[in-house]
Amino acid sequence: MKDQKIDKRTFKISQRPNGLAILFNAMASPCEVLIETDDFNETGRIAKLICERTWQIEDKFSRYNPLSIVSKINNSNNKPVAIDPETYRLLQFSHSCFQISGGLFDITSGILRQVWTFDGSDRIPKKSDVNRLLKSIGWQHVKWDESSITLPNNMEIDLGGIGKEYAVDVAVQLLRAETPYSALVNFGGDIAVTNQPKFDPAPQQQLHQNKTINRVKTAHPWHIAIELGDKQTSDLTTIELTTGAIATSGDANRYLVKDGQRYCHILNPKTGWPVAGGPSSVTVAAPTCIEAGIAATIAMLKGNSAKAFLTENQIQHWIY
Amino acid sequence: MNKSLSFSAALSAAVSALFVAPVTSVKAEESNAWKLDSAVMYYGETDRVQAVEVIVGGKKEFEDGHFLDLKFTFDTLTGASATGAVAQPNIQSFTRPSGNGRYTVSANETPLDDTFKDTRVQLNAQWTQPLKGEYTLSTGAHLSKEYDYLSLGINAGLAREFNQKNTTVSAGLSLGQDTITPEGGLPIPLYEMPHYINSPNGQPNNTEGSSSDFDASRDRSSDSKQIVDLLFGVTQVINRRFITQFNYSYSNVDGYQTDPFKVVSVVDENGVTLNNIYESRPDKRQKNSVYAQGKYHLSKSVVDVSYRYFWDDWGIKSNSIDAKYWMPMGKGYLEPHIRYYQQDEADFYQPFVTRQPEVDSNVSADYRIGKLTGLTLGLSYGFPLNNGHEISFRAELYRQKVTDPGVNNIGVINQLDIFPDVDAVIFQTNYSF
Repeated sequence: MKDQKIDKRTFKISQRPNGLAILFNAMASPCEVLIETDDFNETGRIAKLICERTWQIEDKFSRYNPLSIVSKINNSNNKPVAIDPETYRLLQFSHSCFQISGGLFDITSGILRQVWTFDGSDRIPKKSDVNRLLKSIGWQHVKWDESSITLPNNMEIDLGGIGKEYAVDVAVQLLRAETPYSALVNFGGDIAVTNQPKFDPAPQQQLHQNKTINRVKTAHPWHIAIELGDKQTSDLTTIELTTGAIATSGDANRYLVKDGQRYCHILNPKTGWPVAGGPSSVTVAAPTCIEAGIAATIAMLKGNSAKAFLTENQIQHWIY
Repeated sequence: MNKSLSFSAALSAAVSALFVAPVTSVKAEESNAWKLDSAVMYYGETDRVQAVEVIVGGKKEFEDGHFLDLKFTFDTLTGASATGAVAQPNIQSFTRPSGNGRYTVSANETPLDDTFKDTRVQLNAQWTQPLKGEYTLSTGAHLSKEYDYLSLGINAGLAREFNQKNTTVSAGLSLGQDTITPEGGLPIPLYEMPHYINSPNGQPNNTEGSSSDFDASRDRSSDSKQIVDLLFGVTQVINRRFITQFNYSYSNVDGYQTDPFKVVSVVDENGVTLNNIYESRPDKRQKNSVYAQGKYHLSKSVVDVSYRYFWDDWGIKSNSIDAKYWMPMGKGYLEPHIRYYQQDEADFYQPFVTRQPEVDSNVSADYRIGKLTGLTLGLSYGFPLNNGHEISFRAELYRQKVTDPGVNNIGVINQLDIFPDVDAVIFQTNYSF
């Protein structure tokens, strides 16, 4: 993600069997919004709104953008930084996640990237280097309120763990407010749908023949094919979604292997080390994308008890 | 199972909070300018006291978290208020508290002193600033002056936040001194109200008594009381939608607490007033109250419910329940309000007495420390103006029912309504800029 170049900020609209797709890039991911309509002008209007808002979220919360509020906070040297209500709400949300995960979800843990690079190699950092960074981790040390945040020296925050999921949910809110048509939002694998589609998108043949949206009113889910597990085995699973969201934590292609031990890229902020014995990826379904993302991340951090955690919490999930 | 549900519930609550628009608007970021609030309030009791109050308040933030609050209040009070004397089936005549003249009260009417007229000016200043750690300090002073009354006070409070600002514990202390200097001096408690009045030219103008009667009923020109208040409070944020507050307050008042304008009727076995004596209250009073408040944000509206229990060593106990429901309406908001108040009377409250009380005993017929209930129904409507200012209106109806504390009405008093209801209306306009 670090070598992300600034994408040309444009979008294009392309015809799909079951509607129109808005395609653009944001947050280092390909983004797609599929709307169940053939109204090109209306889709263009909505595309403009969604792209502007998504890029605004990216600019505001990316730690790679030196002008973002996150960069401002990270370079504040223990001085209070004024924050706006949206930033406050995201901090409050991160705080709630920190609390309900017993400290496993911690937006100050991103600093561990200084020693960990998950490129499939065997470069495991020295214990002393990890321990040195642990002193700079701990959300409980951060002072903040509705109007400002004071981050101690040598600490960093990173909203990368929730930013994309948040942008998906914001896009869904926008779509619900702007169009009656069902829509599917997919920002790099973080997915949500606004409401159930009028058509069954599966039998595409039939869809082509029925251009008038109102003809079939029975409830149908969106069919989403997601790639689970190793890319090599190319295991495509179809998930049916009528409402709500799914998010995936873990990346089968980001890991380290040393002495036969596989290290996934999810780091425990308390030890500074990857969680051992856990699944390589967790996909979760939830009412909102950010909820799904957090549940998936916390499950990953639970290591080998990930499945037990999700089952016990009655969270719909797919583990690989 | 409980644990599992709490994880999902906590996460979904966090998500709801994330997508709820903040209650505080972006306007809060414009600091460093004086924020002014003004209000005009009218309070009117049917046939009795009427008050008009003008308040101008200003708040300024100097540096981060350092606030100065100033408030100026001006009010005028006119009309009649109950003297404590009991109604009679015949016309009654009373000496004005100043000794300058007399007023008469029609048969069957509750005696009201119609000379009630006062103007009050009040100034409040409060300074608040953060201290090291999670502490906030607040100090202030007030001064209030009426024609015959002076009230001075200072206060200090300390608050500490815990638990990521979800819990605030506070303690406060205030000290006050009130001095009363009524025209005509302070009447001697339990003394008979004299029949004598002064004439405009200073000469005795009456055949029933002499100027020495009036002078004999007065023993000094002024007196004062000292007030010490302690307050302990906890504010707890349960979640982003639900805030609770709990307070305990203690107040110790030492000094002159009698109302020099109030009397008690001494009646014979037929209920006929023999004379009226000046009331007498203890010079020590310890007050306590506990208060609980819950404020809950629904998706668009806010429910605010509070309860207070009060008790003191005069024997007064009261319960009050207050509920408000804030809801958006158009560009502005609407807020219905209901309040119920119930009070048990002070030990020495008696609507009338049948014999002269013993020396140094206490007695008062002031209905305000009697057995009563009060119901307030109100409605507020406010909206922002195009220039960013805000205007709001409030209208309230108040009905107070004074009830018989259990005395045996005798003779002529039986036929009279000696506990009339008091009805009042309140109108208020606020303008913030």
